[in-house]
Amino acid sequence: MIEFDNVSKLYAGDACALRNISLTIPDGELIFLAGPSGAGKSTLLKMIAGIEKPTSGRVMVNGQDMSKLQAGSLPYLRRKLGLILQDQKLLNDRSILSNVMLPLIVTGAAPQEAESRAHVALEKVGLLEKANALPLTLSGGEQQRVAIARAIVNRPKIILADEPTAFLDRDNANKVLSALKAFQSAGVTCLISSHDEQFLDQASRVIYLSNGQIVDAWNASHIAA
Amino acid sequence: MTIWFREHLFALKSAFTHLRAGTGNFLFNVLVVAIALALPIAGLTLIENIRPISSQLSIEPEISIFVSPDTTRESATALSVPIKRLLKDDGISGKLTFTPKEKALASMQDSSSLAEVLSTLGGNPLPDAYVLSLSNNDATQLDSLVEQLKSLQDVDVVQVDSAWVKRLAALVQIFQMGLLFMAITLGVVVIVVVFNATRLQVISHQAEISVTRLLGATNSFIHRPYYYTGALLGLLAGVLALGAIAASLQPLNKAIAEFAKLYASEFRLTPLGFLPSLALLAFSMLLGLCGAYLSVRRQLARAS
Repeated sequence: MIEFDNVSKLYAGDACALRNISLTIPDGELIFLAGPSGAGKSTLLKMIAGIEKPTSGRVMVNGQDMSKLQAGSLPYLRRKLGLILQDQKLLNDRSILSNVMLPLIVTGAAPQEAESRAHVALEKVGLLEKANALPLTLSGGEQQRVAIARAIVNRPKIILADEPTAFLDRDNANKVLSALKAFQSAGVTCLISSHDEQFLDQASRVIYLSNGQIVDAWNASHIAA
Repeated sequence: MTIWFREHLFALKSAFTHLRAGTGNFLFNVLVVAIALALPIAGLTLIENIRPISSQLSIEPEISIFVSPDTTRESATALSVPIKRLLKDDGISGKLTFTPKEKALASMQDSSSLAEVLSTLGGNPLPDAYVLSLSNNDATQLDSLVEQLKSLQDVDVVQVDSAWVKRLAALVQIFQMGLLFMAITLGVVVIVVVFNATRLQVISHQAEISVTRLLGATNSFIHRPYYYTGALLGLLAGVLALGAIAASLQPLNKAIAEFAKLYASEFRLTPLGFLPSLALLAFSMLLGLCGAYLSVRRQLARAS
Protein backbone atom coordinates (compact mmCIF):
# COMPACT_ATOMS: atom_id res chain seq x y z
CA MET A 1 0.00 0.00 0.00
CA ILE A 2 1.23 3.46 -0.97
CA GLU A 3 -0.32 6.60 0.52
CA PHE A 4 0.21 10.26 -0.26
CA ASP A 5 -1.30 12.52 2.37
CA ASN A 6 -1.52 16.16 1.26
CA VAL A 7 2.01 16.03 -0.21
CA SER A 8 3.68 19.07 -1.72
CA LYS A 9 7.14 19.47 -3.15
CA LEU A 10 8.80 22.83 -3.68
CA TYR A 11 12.18 23.24 -5.31
CA ALA A 12 14.51 26.21 -4.94
CA GLY A 13 13.08 29.35 -6.50
CA ASP A 14 9.56 28.33 -5.40
CA ALA A 15 9.11 25.97 -8.36
CA CYS A 16 6.28 23.68 -7.30
CA ALA A 17 6.62 20.08 -8.50
CA LEU A 18 3.70 18.65 -6.50
CA ARG A 19 0.81 20.44 -4.85
CA ASN A 20 -1.38 18.92 -2.11
CA ILE A 21 -1.39 15.39 -3.51
CA SER A 22 -3.56 12.88 -1.62
CA LEU A 23 -3.61 9.42 -3.07
CA THR A 24 -3.99 5.80 -1.97
CA ILE A 25 -2.67 2.94 -4.06
CA PRO A 26 -3.66 -0.55 -2.87
CA ASP A 27 -1.45 -3.57 -3.50
CA GLY A 28 -1.58 -5.22 -6.92
CA GLU A 29 -2.80 -2.23 -8.94
CA LEU A 30 -1.41 -1.15 -12.31
CA ILE A 31 -1.58 2.63 -12.29
CA PHE A 32 -0.67 5.00 -15.04
CA LEU A 33 0.49 8.47 -14.11
CA ALA A 34 -0.39 10.54 -17.13
CA GLY A 35 0.15 14.14 -17.97
CA PRO A 36 2.45 16.44 -19.88
CA SER A 37 6.17 16.80 -19.23
CA GLY A 38 6.81 18.71 -16.02
CA ALA A 39 3.46 17.67 -14.51
CA GLY A 40 5.15 16.07 -11.49
CA LYS A 41 4.95 12.35 -12.49
CA SER A 42 8.65 11.62 -11.97
CA THR A 43 8.73 13.55 -8.68
CA LEU A 44 5.83 11.47 -7.38
CA LEU A 45 7.65 8.22 -8.28
CA LYS A 46 10.92 9.50 -6.80
CA MET A 47 9.16 10.19 -3.49
CA ILE A 48 8.05 6.57 -3.27
CA ALA A 49 11.67 5.48 -3.84
CA GLY A 50 12.99 7.97 -1.29
CA ILE A 51 14.96 9.85 -3.94
CA GLU A 52 13.00 13.01 -3.19
CA LYS A 53 11.48 14.10 0.10
CA PRO A 54 8.21 16.04 0.39
CA THR A 55 8.35 19.67 1.48
CA SER A 56 5.10 19.06 3.34
CA GLY A 57 2.69 16.18 3.80
CA ARG A 58 3.40 12.51 4.32
CA VAL A 59 4.33 9.62 2.02
CA MET A 60 3.75 6.12 3.39
CA VAL A 61 5.19 3.06 1.61
CA ASN A 62 4.18 -0.33 3.03
CA GLY A 63 3.34 1.37 6.32
CA GLN A 64 6.66 3.21 6.49
CA ASP A 65 6.62 7.01 6.72
CA MET A 66 9.28 8.02 4.18
CA SER A 67 10.06 11.33 5.87
CA LYS A 68 10.85 9.52 9.13
CA LEU A 69 12.96 6.86 7.46
CA GLN A 70 16.58 6.83 8.68
CA ALA A 71 19.23 7.21 5.96
CA GLY A 72 20.61 3.79 6.89
CA SER A 73 17.21 2.14 6.38
CA LEU A 74 16.59 3.56 2.92
CA PRO A 75 18.66 0.94 1.04
CA TYR A 76 16.63 -1.84 2.67
CA LEU A 77 13.36 -0.21 1.55
CA ARG A 78 14.69 0.22 -2.00
CA ARG A 79 15.47 -3.49 -2.15
CA LYS A 80 11.70 -4.07 -2.00
CA LEU A 81 11.13 -1.77 -4.97
CA GLY A 82 11.77 -2.33 -8.65
CA LEU A 83 12.92 0.85 -10.36
CA ILE A 84 12.73 1.36 -14.10
CA LEU A 85 14.04 4.72 -15.16
CA GLN A 86 13.62 6.57 -18.40
CA ASP A 87 17.33 6.37 -19.26
CA GLN A 88 17.58 2.79 -17.91
CA LYS A 89 20.79 3.58 -15.99
CA LEU A 90 22.51 0.37 -17.05
CA LEU A 91 26.22 -0.01 -16.38
CA ASN A 92 27.69 -0.03 -19.86
CA ASP A 93 30.99 -1.65 -18.90
CA ARG A 94 29.22 -4.77 -17.58
CA SER A 95 27.31 -7.51 -19.31
CA ILE A 96 23.52 -7.64 -19.34
CA LEU A 97 23.69 -10.55 -16.92
CA SER A 98 25.91 -8.59 -14.47
CA ASN A 99 23.53 -5.64 -14.66
CA VAL A 100 20.55 -7.81 -13.83
CA MET A 101 22.45 -9.59 -11.04
CA LEU A 102 23.36 -6.28 -9.37
CA PRO A 103 20.21 -5.82 -7.19
CA LEU A 104 20.84 -9.30 -5.75
CA ILE A 105 24.58 -8.75 -5.30
CA VAL A 106 23.98 -5.60 -3.23
CA THR A 107 21.86 -7.66 -0.84
CA GLY A 108 24.74 -10.13 -0.39
CA ALA A 109 23.13 -12.97 -2.38
CA ALA A 110 25.39 -15.84 -3.44
CA PRO A 111 26.73 -15.29 -6.98
CA GLN A 112 25.35 -18.64 -8.19
CA GLU A 113 21.89 -17.86 -6.87
CA ALA A 114 22.02 -14.32 -8.28
CA GLU A 115 23.07 -15.67 -11.66
CA SER A 116 20.30 -18.25 -11.84
CA ARG A 117 17.65 -15.69 -10.79
CA ALA A 118 19.02 -13.18 -13.31
CA HIS A 119 18.71 -15.86 -16.03
CA VAL A 120 15.05 -16.37 -15.07
CA ALA A 121 14.40 -12.60 -15.15
CA LEU A 122 16.09 -12.25 -18.54
CA GLU A 123 14.06 -15.18 -19.85
CA LYS A 124 10.84 -13.42 -18.74
CA VAL A 125 11.72 -10.35 -20.81
CA GLY A 126 12.93 -12.48 -23.75
CA LEU A 127 16.59 -11.54 -23.56
CA LEU A 128 18.24 -14.66 -22.20
CA GLU A 129 20.22 -15.24 -25.38
CA LYS A 130 21.82 -11.78 -24.97
CA ALA A 131 22.89 -12.32 -21.37
CA ASN A 132 26.57 -11.84 -22.15
CA ALA A 133 26.15 -8.86 -24.43
CA LEU A 134 27.05 -5.33 -23.34
CA PRO A 135 24.15 -2.84 -22.96
CA LEU A 136 25.35 -0.56 -25.73
CA THR A 137 25.06 -3.39 -28.28
CA LEU A 138 21.30 -3.61 -27.62
CA SER A 139 18.49 -1.54 -29.09
CA GLY A 140 16.62 1.00 -26.94
CA GLY A 141 13.71 -1.41 -26.47
CA GLU A 142 16.00 -4.23 -25.45
CA GLN A 143 17.79 -1.98 -22.99
CA GLN A 144 14.47 -1.04 -21.46
CA ARG A 145 13.60 -4.74 -21.12
CA VAL A 146 16.95 -5.30 -19.39
CA ALA A 147 15.98 -2.54 -16.97
CA ILE A 148 12.70 -4.38 -16.35
CA ALA A 149 14.56 -7.64 -15.74
CA ARG A 150 16.80 -5.81 -13.26
CA ALA A 151 13.74 -4.31 -11.57
CA ILE A 152 11.98 -7.64 -11.11
CA VAL A 153 14.93 -9.88 -10.28
CA ASN A 154 14.59 -9.02 -6.59
CA ARG A 155 10.89 -10.04 -6.64
CA PRO A 156 9.77 -6.55 -5.56
CA LYS A 157 6.34 -5.74 -4.16
CA ILE A 158 6.23 -2.45 -6.05
CA ILE A 159 7.53 -1.57 -9.51
CA LEU A 160 8.06 2.10 -10.30
CA ALA A 161 8.54 2.78 -14.01
CA ASP A 162 9.36 6.29 -15.14
CA GLU A 163 8.51 6.75 -18.83
CA PRO A 164 9.46 3.15 -19.70
CA THR A 165 8.13 3.48 -23.23
CA ALA A 166 9.70 6.82 -24.06
CA PHE A 167 11.83 6.63 -27.22
CA LEU A 168 10.44 3.17 -28.06
CA ASP A 169 8.47 2.25 -31.16
CA ARG A 170 4.96 0.87 -30.67
CA ASP A 171 6.03 -2.77 -31.00
CA ASN A 172 8.78 -2.47 -28.35
CA ALA A 173 6.57 -0.33 -26.12
CA ASN A 174 3.89 -3.08 -26.22
CA LYS A 175 6.45 -5.70 -25.21
CA VAL A 176 7.56 -3.59 -22.25
CA LEU A 177 3.98 -2.98 -21.10
CA SER A 178 3.04 -6.64 -21.54
CA ALA A 179 5.94 -7.58 -19.29
CA LEU A 180 4.77 -5.09 -16.63
CA LYS A 181 1.16 -6.32 -16.90
CA ALA A 182 2.38 -9.86 -16.32
CA PHE A 183 3.93 -8.78 -13.01
CA GLN A 184 0.81 -6.90 -11.99
CA SER A 185 -1.24 -10.04 -12.54
CA ALA A 186 1.22 -11.82 -10.21
CA GLY A 187 0.27 -9.33 -7.43
CA VAL A 188 2.94 -6.69 -7.90
CA THR A 189 1.90 -3.03 -7.64
CA CYS A 190 3.00 -1.18 -10.78
CA LEU A 191 3.18 2.59 -11.10
CA ILE A 192 4.00 3.72 -14.59
CA SER A 193 4.48 7.31 -15.57
CA SER A 194 3.92 8.14 -19.21
CA HIS A 195 2.93 11.10 -21.29
CA ASP A 196 2.00 8.69 -24.10
CA GLU A 197 -1.77 8.28 -23.89
CA GLN A 198 -2.08 5.40 -26.35
CA PHE A 199 -1.36 2.82 -23.60
CA LEU A 200 -3.73 4.17 -20.95
CA ASP A 201 -6.36 1.53 -21.67
CA GLN A 202 -4.06 -1.15 -20.26
CA ALA A 203 -4.15 0.37 -16.74
CA SER A 204 -6.48 -0.46 -13.87
CA ARG A 205 -6.39 3.23 -12.94
CA VAL A 206 -5.13 6.39 -14.57
CA ILE A 207 -4.11 9.45 -12.57
CA TYR A 208 -3.77 12.59 -14.61
CA LEU A 209 -1.37 15.21 -13.30
CA SER A 210 -0.89 18.75 -14.45
CA ASN A 211 1.23 21.48 -12.84
CA GLY A 212 1.87 19.23 -9.84
CA GLN A 213 -1.80 18.57 -9.09
CA ILE A 214 -4.12 15.64 -9.70
CA VAL A 215 -6.59 17.07 -12.17
CA ASP A 216 -8.39 13.86 -13.06
CA ALA A 217 -8.48 10.14 -12.28
CA TRP A 218 -10.25 7.28 -14.01
CA ASN A 219 -10.60 3.64 -13.16
CA ALA A 220 -10.50 0.74 -15.62
CA SER A 221 -14.29 0.69 -16.24
CA HIS A 222 -14.25 4.37 -17.14
CA ILE A 223 -11.34 3.78 -19.55
CA ALA A 224 -13.11 0.80 -21.13
CA ALA A 225 -16.24 2.88 -21.61
CA MET B 1 29.26 -14.21 8.30
CA THR B 2 28.87 -15.72 4.82
CA ILE B 3 27.17 -12.57 3.53
CA TRP B 4 29.90 -10.43 5.13
CA PHE B 5 32.61 -12.54 3.46
CA ARG B 6 30.72 -12.47 0.13
CA GLU B 7 30.35 -8.70 0.24
CA HIS B 8 34.07 -8.26 0.91
CA LEU B 9 34.94 -10.64 -1.90
CA PHE B 10 32.71 -8.66 -4.25
CA ALA B 11 34.33 -5.40 -3.06
CA LEU B 12 37.79 -6.84 -3.74
CA LYS B 13 36.72 -7.96 -7.21
CA SER B 14 35.25 -4.50 -7.87
CA ALA B 15 38.51 -2.92 -6.70
CA PHE B 16 40.45 -5.02 -9.23
CA THR B 17 37.92 -4.14 -11.94
CA HIS B 18 38.46 -0.44 -11.17
CA LEU B 19 42.22 -0.98 -11.31
CA ARG B 20 42.04 -2.76 -14.66
CA ALA B 21 40.10 0.18 -16.04
CA GLY B 22 42.73 2.68 -14.87
CA THR B 23 45.96 0.68 -14.64
CA GLY B 24 48.19 3.53 -15.85
CA ASN B 25 46.93 6.01 -13.27
CA PHE B 26 47.08 3.42 -10.52
CA LEU B 27 50.69 2.49 -11.29
CA PHE B 28 51.67 6.14 -11.41
CA ASN B 29 50.13 6.67 -7.98
CA VAL B 30 51.90 3.56 -6.66
CA LEU B 31 55.17 5.05 -7.89
CA VAL B 32 54.53 8.43 -6.24
CA VAL B 33 53.57 6.81 -2.93
CA ALA B 34 56.58 4.44 -3.16
CA ILE B 35 58.93 7.41 -3.56
CA ALA B 36 57.38 9.08 -0.53
CA LEU B 37 57.75 5.86 1.49
CA ALA B 38 61.28 5.08 0.29
CA LEU B 39 62.93 7.92 2.21
CA PRO B 40 61.75 6.96 5.72
CA ILE B 41 62.31 3.28 4.89
CA ALA B 42 65.91 4.07 3.88
CA GLY B 43 66.41 5.98 7.14
CA LEU B 44 64.92 3.15 9.13
CA THR B 45 67.18 0.64 7.36
CA LEU B 46 70.18 2.77 8.31
CA ILE B 47 69.08 3.01 11.95
CA GLU B 48 68.42 -0.71 12.15
CA ASN B 49 71.97 -1.31 10.88
CA ILE B 50 73.62 1.22 13.21
CA ARG B 51 71.64 0.34 16.31
CA PRO B 52 73.42 -3.00 16.95
CA ILE B 53 76.82 -1.26 16.77
CA SER B 54 75.88 1.39 19.29
CA SER B 55 74.23 -1.15 21.57
CA GLN B 56 77.25 -3.49 21.44
CA LEU B 57 79.43 -0.67 22.71
CA SER B 58 78.96 -0.02 26.36
CA ILE B 59 77.35 3.28 27.04
CA GLU B 60 77.90 2.72 30.75
CA PRO B 61 80.57 5.16 31.85
CA GLU B 62 84.04 3.65 32.01
CA ILE B 63 86.85 5.55 33.67
CA SER B 64 90.52 4.74 32.96
CA ILE B 65 92.84 5.75 35.77
CA PHE B 66 96.49 5.82 34.71
CA VAL B 67 99.05 5.58 37.51
CA SER B 68 102.12 7.85 37.41
CA PRO B 69 104.96 6.07 35.55
CA ASP B 70 107.42 6.30 38.44
CA THR B 71 105.05 4.72 40.97
CA THR B 72 106.06 1.37 42.39
CA ARG B 73 103.84 -1.70 41.88
CA GLU B 74 102.96 -1.80 45.56
CA SER B 75 101.82 1.83 45.54
CA ALA B 76 99.91 1.24 42.33
CA THR B 77 98.00 -1.74 43.73
CA ALA B 78 97.43 0.11 47.01
CA LEU B 79 95.67 2.84 45.06
CA SER B 80 92.59 0.60 44.84
CA VAL B 81 91.86 1.34 48.52
CA PRO B 82 91.31 5.16 48.18
CA ILE B 83 89.46 4.62 44.87
CA LYS B 84 87.02 2.18 46.49
CA ARG B 85 86.62 4.53 49.41
CA LEU B 86 85.70 7.37 47.07
CA LEU B 87 83.10 5.17 45.41
CA LYS B 88 81.66 4.20 48.75
CA ASP B 89 81.57 7.81 49.98
CA ASP B 90 79.78 8.96 46.83
CA GLY B 91 77.40 5.99 46.91
CA ILE B 92 78.45 4.85 43.45
CA SER B 93 78.59 1.15 42.60
CA GLY B 94 81.11 -0.01 40.05
CA LYS B 95 83.68 -2.61 39.11
CA LEU B 96 87.36 -1.80 39.54
CA THR B 97 89.91 -3.75 37.49
CA PHE B 98 93.67 -3.35 37.80
CA THR B 99 95.65 -3.73 34.57
CA PRO B 100 99.42 -4.04 35.10
CA LYS B 101 101.52 -2.31 32.47
CA GLU B 102 103.03 -5.66 31.30
CA LYS B 103 99.57 -7.05 30.57
CA ALA B 104 98.58 -3.87 28.75
CA LEU B 105 101.69 -4.08 26.58
CA ALA B 106 101.14 -7.76 25.78
CA SER B 107 97.53 -7.08 24.89
CA MET B 108 98.55 -4.20 22.67
CA GLN B 109 101.19 -6.28 20.91
CA ASP B 110 98.66 -9.06 20.27
CA SER B 111 95.84 -7.02 18.96
CA SER B 112 97.28 -3.93 17.40
CA SER B 113 99.11 -3.03 14.26
CA LEU B 114 101.37 -1.01 16.53
CA ALA B 115 103.34 -4.13 17.58
CA GLU B 116 106.20 -3.27 15.27
CA VAL B 117 106.40 0.29 16.58
CA LEU B 118 106.25 -0.92 20.18
CA SER B 119 109.15 -3.32 19.59
CA THR B 120 111.37 -0.44 18.46
CA LEU B 121 110.86 1.40 21.74
CA GLY B 122 112.97 -1.07 23.65
CA GLY B 123 110.97 -0.70 26.90
CA ASN B 124 107.37 -0.58 28.12
CA PRO B 125 106.02 2.96 27.73
CA LEU B 126 102.67 2.06 29.28
CA PRO B 127 101.75 2.82 32.89
CA ASP B 128 99.83 0.60 35.33
CA ALA B 129 96.16 1.42 35.10
CA TYR B 130 92.73 0.86 36.62
CA VAL B 131 89.52 0.54 34.68
CA LEU B 132 86.48 1.59 36.65
CA SER B 133 83.14 0.44 35.12
CA LEU B 134 80.23 2.29 36.68
CA SER B 135 76.56 1.50 36.59
CA ASN B 136 75.66 5.09 37.40
CA ASN B 137 75.29 7.38 34.41
CA ASP B 138 74.73 10.68 36.25
CA ALA B 139 76.93 13.24 34.48
CA THR B 140 77.30 15.57 37.52
CA GLN B 141 78.24 12.72 39.86
CA LEU B 142 80.62 11.37 37.23
CA ASP B 143 82.39 14.73 36.83
CA SER B 144 82.76 15.06 40.57
CA LEU B 145 84.20 11.54 40.83
CA VAL B 146 86.70 12.23 38.04
CA GLU B 147 87.90 15.38 39.82
CA GLN B 148 88.37 13.45 43.08
CA LEU B 149 90.23 10.66 41.31
CA LYS B 150 92.57 13.18 39.70
CA SER B 151 93.45 14.58 43.12
CA LEU B 152 94.57 11.17 44.46
CA GLN B 153 98.27 10.66 45.00
CA ASP B 154 100.07 8.62 42.28
CA VAL B 155 97.27 9.22 39.76
CA ASP B 156 98.63 10.69 36.54
CA VAL B 157 95.68 10.84 34.10
CA VAL B 158 91.96 10.12 34.47
CA GLN B 159 90.06 9.51 31.27
CA VAL B 160 86.32 9.03 30.76
CA ASP B 161 86.00 6.55 27.88
CA SER B 162 82.27 6.59 27.35
CA ALA B 163 81.96 10.14 26.03
CA TRP B 164 82.16 9.28 22.33
CA VAL B 165 79.78 6.35 22.73
CA LYS B 166 77.36 8.70 24.39
CA ARG B 167 77.76 11.10 21.52
CA LEU B 168 77.02 8.31 19.03
CA ALA B 169 73.95 7.26 21.00
CA ALA B 170 72.80 10.90 21.11
CA LEU B 171 73.35 11.24 17.36
CA VAL B 172 71.35 8.06 16.70
CA GLN B 173 68.58 9.46 18.89
CA ILE B 174 68.58 12.78 17.02
CA PHE B 175 68.55 10.86 13.74
CA GLN B 176 65.62 8.79 15.02
CA MET B 177 63.70 11.93 15.93
CA GLY B 178 64.43 13.43 12.50
CA LEU B 179 63.32 10.21 10.89
CA LEU B 180 60.11 10.18 12.89
CA PHE B 181 59.36 13.73 11.82
CA MET B 182 60.13 12.88 8.19
CA ALA B 183 57.99 9.73 8.42
CA ILE B 184 55.04 11.74 9.76
CA THR B 185 55.42 14.36 7.02
CA LEU B 186 55.71 11.78 4.25
CA GLY B 187 52.88 9.76 5.80
CA VAL B 188 50.68 12.83 5.36
CA VAL B 189 51.94 13.08 1.75
CA VAL B 190 50.94 9.44 1.16
CA ILE B 191 47.47 10.08 2.60
CA VAL B 192 47.05 13.15 0.39
CA VAL B 193 48.13 11.25 -2.75
CA VAL B 194 45.74 8.35 -2.02
CA PHE B 195 43.00 10.83 -1.09
CA ASN B 196 43.30 12.51 -4.47
CA ALA B 197 43.56 9.24 -6.41
CA THR B 198 40.42 7.95 -4.68
CA ARG B 199 38.60 11.23 -5.28
CA LEU B 200 39.23 10.94 -9.02
CA GLN B 201 38.16 7.31 -8.96
CA VAL B 202 34.90 8.14 -7.17
CA ILE B 203 34.19 10.92 -9.67
CA SER B 204 34.77 8.58 -12.62
CA HIS B 205 32.41 5.97 -11.08
CA GLN B 206 29.68 8.39 -10.12
CA ALA B 207 27.16 6.77 -12.50
CA GLU B 208 27.83 3.30 -11.09
CA ILE B 209 27.54 4.62 -7.53
CA SER B 210 24.20 6.30 -8.17
CA VAL B 211 22.82 3.15 -9.85
CA THR B 212 23.86 0.82 -7.03
CA ARG B 213 22.45 3.31 -4.52
CA LEU B 214 19.09 3.23 -6.33
CA LEU B 215 19.17 -0.55 -6.29
CA GLY B 216 19.46 -0.64 -2.51
CA ALA B 217 23.21 -0.71 -1.91
CA THR B 218 24.26 0.39 1.57
CA ASN B 219 27.00 2.97 2.06
CA SER B 220 29.38 0.23 3.21
CA PHE B 221 28.77 -1.70 0.01
CA ILE B 222 29.53 1.39 -2.08
CA HIS B 223 32.56 2.51 -0.04
CA ARG B 224 34.28 -0.84 0.35
CA PRO B 225 35.87 -1.23 -3.15
CA TYR B 226 37.56 2.17 -2.73
CA TYR B 227 38.94 1.17 0.66
CA TYR B 228 40.39 -1.95 -0.93
CA THR B 229 41.88 0.08 -3.78
CA GLY B 230 43.50 2.52 -1.31
CA ALA B 231 44.87 -0.29 0.84
CA LEU B 232 46.17 -2.09 -2.25
CA LEU B 233 47.83 1.10 -3.45
CA GLY B 234 49.57 1.51 -0.08
CA LEU B 235 50.60 -2.14 0.03
CA LEU B 236 52.07 -2.20 -3.50
CA ALA B 237 53.86 1.11 -2.89
CA GLY B 238 55.31 -0.36 0.32
CA VAL B 239 56.52 -3.47 -1.51
CA LEU B 240 58.05 -1.31 -4.25
CA ALA B 241 59.77 1.01 -1.74
CA LEU B 242 61.16 -1.91 0.32
CA GLY B 243 62.35 -3.65 -2.85
CA ALA B 244 64.00 -0.49 -4.17
CA ILE B 245 65.83 0.12 -0.87
CA ALA B 246 66.96 -3.53 -0.66
CA ALA B 247 68.20 -3.37 -4.26
CA SER B 248 70.06 -0.10 -3.68
CA LEU B 249 71.98 -1.61 -0.74
CA GLN B 250 73.93 -3.88 -3.11
CA PRO B 251 75.95 -1.13 -4.85
CA LEU B 252 76.09 0.91 -1.63
CA ASN B 253 77.63 -2.02 0.25
CA LYS B 254 80.50 -2.19 -2.25
CA ALA B 255 81.46 1.37 -1.34
CA ILE B 256 80.90 0.73 2.37
CA ALA B 257 83.06 -2.42 2.26
CA GLU B 258 86.02 -0.41 0.93
CA PHE B 259 85.58 2.17 3.68
CA ALA B 260 85.02 -0.38 6.46
CA LYS B 261 88.16 -2.28 5.43
CA LEU B 262 90.21 0.75 6.48
CA TYR B 263 88.91 0.20 10.03
CA ALA B 264 89.32 -3.60 9.85
CA SER B 265 85.53 -3.89 9.97
CA GLU B 266 83.16 -6.19 8.15
CA PHE B 267 80.29 -3.70 8.42
CA ARG B 268 77.62 -4.04 5.71
CA LEU B 269 74.14 -2.60 5.40
CA THR B 270 71.48 -5.32 5.39
CA PRO B 271 67.84 -4.93 4.32
CA LEU B 272 65.16 -4.79 7.00
CA GLY B 273 64.24 -8.12 8.56
CA PHE B 274 61.01 -10.00 7.93
CA LEU B 275 59.02 -8.62 10.86
CA PRO B 276 60.00 -4.94 10.44
CA SER B 277 59.26 -5.28 6.70
CA LEU B 278 55.89 -6.82 7.47
CA ALA B 279 55.14 -4.03 9.93
CA LEU B 280 56.11 -1.42 7.33
CA LEU B 281 53.87 -3.04 4.71
CA ALA B 282 51.00 -3.09 7.18
CA PHE B 283 51.65 0.58 7.97
CA SER B 284 51.80 1.65 4.31
CA MET B 285 48.59 -0.32 3.68
CA LEU B 286 47.01 1.48 6.63
CA LEU B 287 48.08 4.86 5.23
CA GLY B 288 46.47 3.94 1.88
CA LEU B 289 43.31 2.82 3.63
CA CYS B 290 43.26 6.01 5.67
CA GLY B 291 43.58 8.23 2.55
CA ALA B 292 40.83 6.27 0.77
CA TYR B 293 38.57 6.36 3.84
CA LEU B 294 38.83 10.13 4.22
CA SER B 295 38.32 10.69 0.50
CA VAL B 296 35.32 8.36 0.10
CA ARG B 297 33.60 9.71 3.19
CA ARG B 298 34.00 13.26 1.92
CA GLN B 299 33.08 12.58 -1.72
CA LEU B 300 30.10 10.36 -1.09
CA ALA B 301 28.77 12.48 1.75
CA ARG B 302 28.70 15.33 -0.75
CA ALA B 303 27.07 13.15 -3.43
CA SER B 304 24.30 11.92 -1.14
